[in-house]
Amino acid sequence: MREKATTLYIGPQHPGITGNMMVRVKVEGDTIVKATTEVGYLHRSFEKLIEKRNWLQSFTLLCRFCVPEPDPVEESYARAVELLEGREVPERAKYIRVLVLELARIASYLLWYGGQSASLGLYTIGQWSVGDRNYILDLFEELTGGRVYHMYIWPGGVRRDLPKGFENKVLKTMDYLEKRLDDYDDLMFDNTIFRKRTQGVGIIDKEKAVEWGVVGPPLRGCGIRSDIRIDDPYEVYNKLDFVVPVEEGGDIWARALVRRQEIRQSIRIIRQVLDNIPAGKYYNKIPNPQKWALPKGDAYTRTEAVRGEVGMYVVSDGGTHPRRAHFRGAAYVHAITLLENLLVGENISDIAAIMNSLGTCPPEIER
Amino acid sequence: MMINDKNSQKIVDIIQNYARKHSLWILAYGTGCGAIEIPPTMTSRYDAERLGVRGAATPRQADVLLITGYLTTKTLKRVIRVYEQMQDPKYVIGFGSCTINGGMYWDSYNTIKALDRYLPVDVFINGCMPRPEAVLAGFAKLQELIQAGKADGARKYKENLEWYRANQKKVIPNWRMPEYNW
Amino acid sequence: MEEIKSTIIQRIKTHFSDATEKEYPYNRVDFSVKKETIPAILFYLKDEMGFKHLSHISCIDWLEENEFEVVFIVWSPTDKIKVFVHTRVDRENPVMDNVDMIWRQANTYEREMREMFGIQFTGLEAPEEFLLEDWEGPPPMRRDFDTEAYATNTYWERPGREDAKDIRETIEKRSGEILPDFAKKYTR
Repeated sequence: MREKATTLYIGPQHPGITGNMMVRVKVEGDTIVKATTEVGYLHRSFEKLIEKRNWLQSFTLLCRFCVPEPDPVEESYARAVELLEGREVPERAKYIRVLVLELARIASYLLWYGGQSASLGLYTIGQWSVGDRNYILDLFEELTGGRVYHMYIWPGGVRRDLPKGFENKVLKTMDYLEKRLDDYDDLMFDNTIFRKRTQGVGIIDKEKAVEWGVVGPPLRGCGIRSDIRIDDPYEVYNKLDFVVPVEEGGDIWARALVRRQEIRQSIRIIRQVLDNIPAGKYYNKIPNPQKWALPKGDAYTRTEAVRGEVGMYVVSDGGTHPRRAHFRGAAYVHAITLLENLLVGENISDIAAIMNSLGTCPPEIER
Repeated sequence: MMINDKNSQKIVDIIQNYARKHSLWILAYGTGCGAIEIPPTMTSRYDAERLGVRGAATPRQADVLLITGYLTTKTLKRVIRVYEQMQDPKYVIGFGSCTINGGMYWDSYNTIKALDRYLPVDVFINGCMPRPEAVLAGFAKLQELIQAGKADGARKYKENLEWYRANQKKVIPNWRMPEYNW
Repeated sequence: MEEIKSTIIQRIKTHFSDATEKEYPYNRVDFSVKKETIPAILFYLKDEMGFKHLSHISCIDWLEENEFEVVFIVWSPTDKIKVFVHTRVDRENPVMDNVDMIWRQANTYEREMREMFGIQFTGLEAPEEFLLEDWEGPPPMRRDFDTEAYATNTYWERPGREDAKDIRETIEKRSGEILPDFAKKYTR
């Protein structure tokens, strides 16, 4: 007998949902037959406001595009502005930018550890990893002055040089984290509950993955080696030695394993950056921002964030204000068309786990 | 609890407020970007649970509505509904500069600029983003107000419902919501 | 890299007579086409030339020229090259062909463009509302929509932030609040 379909509203106020968004699911018994995403709860009209700000003022808005990991957005915008103007960036600044990006990546993955495990009812890991994330936020605070929002990467370089003794602090934190990661493995990846709840759930089809617009860890979880840092290298990533981890399967488990290895790769990159960072200027001075006009043209830059590829399409009409700055977030595709596809046939209890494994970030969809 | 004798009522109030201030369950609704500083506040380093602050899953179990940042008109509608579903005693904390005066979204067409026009706010925490210490200080202030019996936002809301409703309906043109009968 | 780029330009130019190219350094190639050619050129790029990944769709309002510019950015994972396809749409009557049968995720971009710029896509199947709710007024991302005037008319603003005046004295006078020492030493 066919069961009657019921419509359920998961969100916007729901403890399992990642941020302020809503998924409307039609269920038969416990199985989802249709899912629709509804977004727009966080639409602050950033792109309209950036048209009213000048090239430098936009940075206060930019870091709010994606809250858990704001630096890739700043970096891609700064790089787009540099491309438009043809401005050179000192070598030291490029290394510092990579350092900041990788620190942000680790911080964001630690937050993901908490979210992914809490979605399956394992709350201890979140207590540990979010607590450890504070050590990285402390580093950010010393470097940039802010815990969450940094506004540190600017056109022409970075805002400040590394403080005295900062390298040692970073290395110390990395040593600590590396030891800590084994504890997380014991608690999360050796955990039978985690294994059983994630293996074979939320499978992304490998053949269709690229066409569907899957990027980042979910794509690498399908067995496709794709990373902007390697494919379309920016800053100094082509001079650094690191591996892009790939897992087969395409389920939550594979995506989790990819992220688990990526933290270790990020630590490796940070160590290399601190070994090889050259001395010199960290900033090429820009003109008075009130009068700073950029030549006419457009530029599109992409950065590998934890959620996948993020991009910034910047258009200048030759004035002191951007004509258009359009942000492309990974969640824009992941949380709407992909999620609607993935949820069909899954259980209600797996919705939160699948959303977390895709790294859904609503503010980046709505902007 | 209501007692006819004036002095006994005072004692009951003190005990009641003391109990209330040590059990502040906040609703798990991350309305804006401020939601990112809530996990650090709740977890090991800052550990808000020692103040009796912890998360609650549904509006009917929650005591505190934490408005973490800017509210778009679309979210405001949901927040009003959530607030009206909450049971007494209930408090509202406005978190971040954007709930006070619009913050950096002062010229945005989609966010409200002052939260206390639409909901009764007991405590404002300023900053963008407020640090976990500031959040804890905000909770401590709320506890102080509760003990003194001054956190009476819910009563204000009931008494001035018409004024709040008029403001709310001004920014939400299509008002299709049930009227809760307290 | 240069070889692959010139092959791409040649193949596109032979297949689509209205395409004009523009070369950029590194791994970027730009084409401008008429809006009627858009589905055909995107199909060709995806199925015949390996540009499998749709990276971005953007729209710019050129108010002075009375036109919208729509940009499609596609990426080839094998050749590591990005191709930009630009097209222009009349601002008075903005109608375009829907491309969500090529990439499903284009549907989301088109919904946003329909709401924010008012561009109509023929045959687009999606709910009318995307980011906004009960919006009355012009599409907000158009250049002639004044967001500041709208905000001032619609929302109540707390007085006191009209200018950038120094308010430290006011804070000190306010009910017993003491300004910390570190705040006193900074001057405007």
